[in-house]
Order: sequence, then structure tokens, then C-alpha cells
Amino acid sequence: MNFPITPTTTFALALTFALPTFALSTPAQAAPSAQEIIGKANIAAYYQGNDGRAKVRMKIVDAQGRKRLRQFTILRRDIKDGGDQSFLVLFSRPADVKRTVFLVQKKVRGDDDRWMYLPALDLVKRIASSDKRTSFVGSHFFYEDISGRSVHEDNHQLQKTTDTHYVIRSTPKKAGSVEFKYSTAWVDKKNYLPTKIEYVDKSGKLYRRIEALRVKTVQGHATVTKMKASDLKNGGHTITMMKGVKYDLSVPSTVFAERSLRNPPRQWFKKL
Amino acid sequence: MRERIIKLATSYPRTIFVVVALLVVGIGSQMARVVVDTDPQNMLPADQAERLFHNQAKKTFQLHDMLVVGVVNDKDPDGVFNPHSLARIHALSRKIAAIDGVIERDLLSPATVDKTTPDGAGTVRFSWLLAEPPKTRAEALRIKADALRLPMLNGSLVTENGQAVAIYVPLSDKKQSHRISQEIKAAVTGLSGAEQYFITGLPVAEDTFGVEMFVQMAISAPMAALVIFIIMWWFFRSLPLITAPMLLSMATVLITMGALIGLGYTVHIMSSMIPIFLMPIAVVNSIHILSEFSDNYAPGKDKREVIRHVMGKLFTPMFYTSLTTIAGFGSLAFAPIPPVKVFGAFVALGVLISFLLSVIFIPAYIVSLSDKTLARLPGSDEEPAEGEEAKGLLARILPKVGGFSVAHSRIVVMALLVISAISAYGISKIVINDNPVLWFKESHEIRIADKVLNQHFAGTYPAYVVLEKTDKDPQQKLAAAVNKALAPKADATAEQRKASQAVLTAYKGFEAASKEKDFGQRINGLIDKVEDATDNADETHEAFWATVTDRLEKAQSAHKYFQSPAALAYIDALQQELGRSKIVGKSNSLVDVVKTLNRDLHDGSAKYYMLPKSSAAVAQSLLTYQSSHRPHDLWHFATPDMRQASVWVQLKSGDNQNMRRVMDRVDAFVAQNPPPAGVSVKWAGMTYLNVIWQDAMVAGMFSSLLGSFGIVLLMMIFLFRSVIFGLLSMIPLSITIAFIYGLIGLMGKDYDMPVAVLSAMTLGLSVDFAIHFLQRSRRLHLELGSWQLALAAMFHGPGRAISRNAIVIAIGFLPLLAAPLVPYNTVGFFMAAIMGISGVVTLMLLPAVMNLIRNKLPALKADSQDHNPNTSPTSRRLAEEEIA
Repeated sequence: MNFPITPTTTFALALTFALPTFALSTPAQAAPSAQEIIGKANIAAYYQGNDGRAKVRMKIVDAQGRKRLRQFTILRRDIKDGGDQSFLVLFSRPADVKRTVFLVQKKVRGDDDRWMYLPALDLVKRIASSDKRTSFVGSHFFYEDISGRSVHEDNHQLQKTTDTHYVIRSTPKKAGSVEFKYSTAWVDKKNYLPTKIEYVDKSGKLYRRIEALRVKTVQGHATVTKMKASDLKNGGHTITMMKGVKYDLSVPSTVFAERSLRNPPRQWFKKL
Repeated sequence: MRERIIKLATSYPRTIFVVVALLVVGIGSQMARVVVDTDPQNMLPADQAERLFHNQAKKTFQLHDMLVVGVVNDKDPDGVFNPHSLARIHALSRKIAAIDGVIERDLLSPATVDKTTPDGAGTVRFSWLLAEPPKTRAEALRIKADALRLPMLNGSLVTENGQAVAIYVPLSDKKQSHRISQEIKAAVTGLSGAEQYFITGLPVAEDTFGVEMFVQMAISAPMAALVIFIIMWWFFRSLPLITAPMLLSMATVLITMGALIGLGYTVHIMSSMIPIFLMPIAVVNSIHILSEFSDNYAPGKDKREVIRHVMGKLFTPMFYTSLTTIAGFGSLAFAPIPPVKVFGAFVALGVLISFLLSVIFIPAYIVSLSDKTLARLPGSDEEPAEGEEAKGLLARILPKVGGFSVAHSRIVVMALLVISAISAYGISKIVINDNPVLWFKESHEIRIADKVLNQHFAGTYPAYVVLEKTDKDPQQKLAAAVNKALAPKADATAEQRKASQAVLTAYKGFEAASKEKDFGQRINGLIDKVEDATDNADETHEAFWATVTDRLEKAQSAHKYFQSPAALAYIDALQQELGRSKIVGKSNSLVDVVKTLNRDLHDGSAKYYMLPKSSAAVAQSLLTYQSSHRPHDLWHFATPDMRQASVWVQLKSGDNQNMRRVMDRVDAFVAQNPPPAGVSVKWAGMTYLNVIWQDAMVAGMFSSLLGSFGIVLLMMIFLFRSVIFGLLSMIPLSITIAFIYGLIGLMGKDYDMPVAVLSAMTLGLSVDFAIHFLQRSRRLHLELGSWQLALAAMFHGPGRAISRNAIVIAIGFLPLLAAPLVPYNTVGFFMAAIMGISGVVTLMLLPAVMNLIRNKLPALKADSQDHNPNTSPTSRRLAEEEIA
């Protein structure tokens, strides 16, 4: 009865960067370039396996400590590693949004194609959005944190290398398009997973943080299974937990089609 | 005791100077710790129910205090919707967002809000309304069209004619309002163009008032001092002599304010007026002393003897007049308004201090003057020309007035009865009203902004209707539902019975273990547990667990009350009723959000501007709403558990009487359309709180007026040892109060905070005239043996003294008229009027009444006066001198 899913589990940290999870490929010696690190981090965070599924539970806590819950199953299929992807998101909780579905065809270059299905209104809508810095269903994660920010949108710079992490500063190429001045990511040297990203606003103040709270290895892929997004300016945070993460399910591309909005294929959403 | 004080004062002047100086420096230096407070909320006690509710609602819905910045362009045919104006609005929004103390997240400006637009068939577009300044006229007009079709923005941020745009600036602390408004002004100065900019809102009105009030304290009080100085110079013509009362009033003000601030009280609007009240009141006693002294002193006389003689004569009347003034102001200390309490208590303290200084410091000062200085004093026989002339003027008029009153007693009494009747009519016309924005003169920029912006927009005054749903015991209901759902069917197999029992037992275990008190959170936790159990269950059990989940989810959905179409329909009806009020420009709620979403999620056509049919449809619409740049905006209208909802009501006027009308309308609506069971409807918001404290003040002032009336009456009866004289002494002030309030009613002047405070003060001040009049006329009666003769004699010396005092106090308050703040003007005008009127009434009505009832007045016997020091042989002799 649960609908399992899996986004790239790691997806959560949508941080822009990510990396292949198995650190293996990293040359032991000379530090890789910022561009290289970010490329790997992007893969590690958003492209594990060829596809994936996870059941996601989001606990949204506002500055006053008031809690809300969202639960959904996310199904992901990569068209190309580091390139375009498809997502299908099926909500299960709270009960009043049960069976609400999002479908996303992520484009690395250009706008994503997005649809949603609202069962109570029996409406399928295509969603056009001016940008990806909008809240993901009212949580402290942005749409872009979930789907992944294109590595081409920022200039990346290796700030320093610690014993365990590469610290990379990413400055948007188009400053006007986003609300932050730059972000700083701590990328784990072993598995290239970004374990912390901090955002600094235009006045130079740190105002937002996303951090990995738990990393598990699933089918050989280091996967963030618990993460937190915090609004450091206004207070409040969202904790996302992933269960039933599974990779390489061989989900066919036909699943990510408009007809799945009204009738999500049960096969991919049944009990994990 | 009296003798001892006088002896002490005249024997050790130096010690007294040192002590007074130490007090002034020691206590007065506390003034450096001043904290100004102009928050009208503080007119209510901190634990007052409505105030607590307001603050809770503010927190619950994050209803920040807001400044309203208006940008108007009436030159361009497209109004502000042209690329240049929008570029400036965009730039200004950015600058405002960066100001310290502005809550950027909740800043409402065209440049910070989202829009939804149906974009071709089957597509809905979510984007910033004004992400970047448009480049072309068409783009600019597109922005206008997009904004106008959003009910949340139309009328609030943009107007139909496109001439104006409003920016709502939420503040983390309203005490920063003035500074922030100044920073916005500075930001505006950097923008060229045809646009005009306006800033208003209750927070900036209040905070700016505080700043200007502080300036007034530094201007009005010294002005009052200067005026008093001039009047005294006119009376006494001796710099060394009039320095004494000036020092005294300064010492009084410094000690009083130092004590107030040192004791940790904030300086509120009321208490900022304390110095201005104390200045004139403080010098009155000194004027008596100086007057008597200069009349009695002649070179060669022993100054100690003269001052002791003068003090002996004046001590008691000064004591009583001070006492009644203390009672009048002191009664305010029992009002239910904390700042008024502080004001009353400390003016009373100041009066006490000034009395003590008058009987100790003034004699000490006079004896320490050299004989040479004193020799230059203008004696009673050699007053300067102007003084003589003025005295002559009063001297010519007063006896005629007195003669008239006695000769035509009936006419005078009738005339005053008629005036009182008119006053009563005027009182019935009194409009109880206040509005912090109206504390500024009409020409003030805040008043202008207020006017302009309320013409263009739905209203700059916010009030909130807060609805809350409470259930009796949802937990019990849920338990019953789960029990029922798991009850085995008649045809159930033994295995099924066992399984359902096992599930029920396990579920009860979860319930017992849950620590969440909040029902919504509790259900969430239970669903988590049930889900885990389901995951691990076999098929038979899984079906039962599914039943439990189903019940929990139903209870959970039902618990989100303000998501149900029925609940929203009630809010909708309430808003429509609000919309019928002319004062309400607009109201905004979850209903508007949901209807707009429903419209734009469909095809954007007006026919879909309605509430969806199910709670789930509302929830799903709101899920899309939250996928915006500003998901938190939702929580201004509802709590995340959907148990409370708020309606933002925009009022075009912040007048309390208008807010009251809107409240009455809602009350009537709720009475006729009772809300669903368990739903409460309450108000919050600053505009609403102003009504609450005003109500408290009107009631409180009335009872403190009655209280001080009673106390002063008792004091008078005790002073005169006569009920009739006690009652007589209350007549002038009663008529004065009635007249003043009748005048306020007839003039159409709002009964506001300063006006309310006037009543009790009037009582304390104007009874002084009656005390002097009755005391002296009784003495004269004793001397002359007849009321008729006594009354005639009254209009020589004593009448002049009363007139002079009335003039001093009245003129002393006049500098307040020059202040740019309306409450100061009000107090200045009415205090001057009160002094004038009560002087006239005392001098005209009292003799008329006494003449009419002269046969009923108690015959005074010399022995009954033994306790009264004022009828000592000395004063008798002085009374004779006066007549002569």
C-alpha cells in the first residue's frame, strides 16, 4: 500500500553539483578541477543508476514549529547521465492530495516540460513556470533542489580542499535570475555527494542551507536518505526522508507519459 | 506643623538650597534614561484579553505591522504602467527589501509577487508579476492586465486606472517605523521621474508621532516657561523675585520627570505632556506668595517676619488647592489605561512637590535675598504703570460683574441653566473617536499620504477577522470510528476475527504511546505507525490496516476544517457582508486564493471563479499554490492545520467610529447567520485594538471623574465644615465640565484620548477658584456681617486674585497651540478655555446663587472658625485691607 519510489535518492540534495558515487574513478593525486567536481557531484546526486525509485516523506516545520507532512513516491529515469531525465511523482499523503501526480521531463538546456494531475478537480494541466526557484509543494526545498540545477548555469570555483571535502563556490552566470549571490557546496571526496550547500543572499548574508543528514549505500550507490533544508533568515526547515530506495528497475520510457497522470502504472508504485 | 515648616524654611535657607539642588541633580539626572513609547497597544494592560488575542493572532498568521508606500503617476496616460515608472518601482522594491528591519519575505510589491495566468488551453503559467522592468509599452500594459485580473492584487497593490501602485512593507518591529520610513524616503530621493511617493500606515504614524513628540517636549515646555516668565515679569517687575518660581517650576519638572523615568516608566504621549502641565500649575502658589509678600514688604521691615506672616496666611488655602489638584489628577491613577495612570500619578506627585517647594524653597529664597534687592521691589503702592493699568482694567470691570450677578441673580442663574441645557445637548452629540493618523495636522505628509492612498487603494488600515474551529473531543470520535470499522462482520471467519482483533489491539497500542497533544499531529504520527505495520503485514492483516488508515485519513481530512467548502462558504458570505460597508475597501482571505486558483487551473474564465466542491479539491489547489515563490503567503490566511482562518480587512479609514461600524456589521451578520458549531469569530489588528482601548478609556475616565468628584466634594465639605458650601464649591467646575464637553459635542470635535483626560484635570484645577472665592467671601461675611456686603467686597481684591490666576494658567497653556501635533493643540486650547470659563463661572454664578439662597446659608459664628487658620486676626485685618 505504500507507493515506493525512487528518485534518485540522492536527488534530494539537489544541489547543483553532484558526483558519481563511487569514488573510485577519482585520481588519487592531483585535485580535480571545480568543473570536474561539480560534474561528478551532479551525477552522484541526481543520476545514480539508470533509473530509480523512492518513497519520500517530507516533514515541513515552520518558524513557529508547526508541522505538515507530505508523502510521495518518486520514479526517475535517466535519458542520459548528466543529461535529460524523466520524473513521475505520485502523492499519497496527506489523504486530501492522494493521487495527485506530477510529471516532469527535465531538460538540461531549456525549460522543463511539467504536467500535473489534480484528481479532485479531475484536471490535467501543463505547468509553465518562469523559473525553478519556486517552492516544491510548500516545503523549504525548491523545485530546482529536487530536479537538479543545471551545472551550466553557474561558474564554479574550487575554494579549498579539506581532508574530506572539496569546497566549491558556484556563482550564477545570470545574477538577476536567482535570489542568491552564490552558493557553497561541500562535496565528499570519497563519493562526490554534496553533503552541505549554503546559499548567500545579495547582501552577503548566509540565508539558506541544505544538508545531508544520512547517507546509505544502496546497490553500491552512496545515497542520501535523509536531508534537511533550512531557512536561516525566517526560520523553519524541511526534513526529507527516503525509504525503499531502489535503482536500475528498468522502467520503460512509456511510463513517463501524459496518460500516467490519470492512471499511474501500479506496477511501479506498488509496495516497495 | 505649619509653623515649624515655615520656621525651618526661613531659618536654614542654605541647607534647603543644597537639599533641593541635590534632589534636582540626583533624581533629574535619571531623565537621561528616557524611553519613549508611542505604541497605542500600551494603552491596554499587557494581560488584557483582546490585546493578548491580537498578539496571538499576529503571531499565528504572521501579520506584521506594515507601512504602505504608494507610487502615483497621474501624468503618464498609462499611469505607473509604463516602462520607466515600473523600472523605478522595481528598483525601489529592491531597495526597500534591503532595508534593515524589513521582512523581505513578506514584502508585497509588484516586483515581489507571483501571478498565475492561463496560458493557452490546458496550460497554467506561474511566474513573477514583475521579474524585470518591461522594455516596451505593451509589456508594461500586460503587467497591469495580469495584475488586475488577480483579486488579491486588484485594489490592494494596483488600481483599475493604473495610476498607482502600493508596496506593503512588513516590519519586524514597528518601533523602527520612523527610521525605515526615512530610509524609504532617502531611497525615493534617488529616483527621478514624474512619480509621486507617499508613505503612511498606523505604525509610521505612531512612531513618527513619538519622534515629533520628543521634539515638542523640548519646545513646548520651555515655551510655556518663557510665557510664564513674561507674565510674571509683567506682574512683579523684579528679576530676582520671579527667578524663584521659575527655579521652582524647573525643579518640580526635573524631579517629577526624573522620578518617572528613574522608576522605569516609559514616556508615553500622555506623560510627555507632564512638564507642560506642571509648569503653570507649579508657579501658581508662588504667585500668591510673591504677591502677598510684595504687598506687605516695605524697606526696613524684617523680611523674615513678613514672609512668616504671609506664609501663615496662605498655607492652608495653598494646601487645599494643591490637595484638590492632586485629587483631580490622582484620580487618573485609577483609570484602566496604564499611560493615563502614570500621567495622573506623576502630575499628582509633581503638584505635591511644587507645594512642598512653595512652602519651603520660596520662603527660603526670599529671606536669602539681600535687603538691597528687596528694597527695589515695587511695593503695593508703587506698582508700575502697565500693571496699574491692567489692575485698573480688572478693577473697573470686576465690581460691575459682581454687581450684575447679585442684582440679577435670577437672570444669571437662568442663563447658566440655559447654557447647561445646551451643553447637555452638545454632550449628547459627542462622537467618541480617535485615530493616530489624525494626531497630525492635515498638512502633515502622513495625513496627505493617508488621504491619497486611501483614495487610490482599498485601504491602508488593516483589521483581521479570525475564525477558529474547536471540536469537543475529536480523539474520542476517531476511536469510536476505528472500533466500529474493525468490528468483525457477521460472516467473518475465525481467522479474520483474530486478525481484526490483533490490528485493533496493535492500533490501540499506538494510540496509547502517542505523545502528541495536537490532534492533527497525532493523526500524522498514527498514520506513520500504521503504515509501517501495513508494510510488514500479511494480506489478511493488511486489509484491516487499510481500514484503519482509511478512518485516520478521513478524520484527518475532516479535521482540516477551513479547507472544507462549507467553512469557506461561510467566510465568503462574511466577506460579502463586509464588502457592503463603505468603509471596507476590500477583504482578502483563503476564499479569494482558492477561487482564483480554481479559475486559473480551469481556463481562467470568470465562470470558474468559485469555490470547488470538495475539501480535496481545495487541498489540491492549495498544493499548486504552494509551488510558488511565496508559499508562505497562504499562512497569513490559515494555519497549517487549517483550524484557524483569518480575513484581512482593508479599511479606508482608521477612525475608531468607523472600525466600530464595521464591527457592528459583522456582529449583526454573525447574529443572523450563526457560524457552524464550534466556530468562533473574533477581531484582531491595530485598528481594532484602538477601539478596545478607547472603550476602556471612556468608561475609565467616567468612573475616575465620578470618583474624583466625590473625593473633592468630601474635601470641600471638610474644609468648609458645611455641606452647603461643599456643594456650592462644586457648582462652577460642574458647569465648566459640562460646558467644555458640550462645546466639544457642538464643535464636532472627536472625543479622543486628550479630551478624555481633560475631565478629571478640570475638576482638580477649577475647584481652586471656588475654594478661594468661598473661603474669602466667608471671611468677608464674618467681617461685614452680611452676604450682600461680602459679595460686593469680593469683587475687589479676591476677585482680582482669582482672575489673575486664571489668566496665568490659561496663558501658560497657550504655547501648546503652536505645536504641530493635534493632541497638544487640543489640550492647549481646552485647558485655556477651562481656566477662562471656570474663572468666569466662579465669579458670576457663585455670587448669584449665594445671593439667591443667602437666607439659607449657615450663619457663621466666630467660634466655628476657631479651627480655621484663615480667620485669624491677621487675616481678618487683611480682609479689611482688601475691602479698603
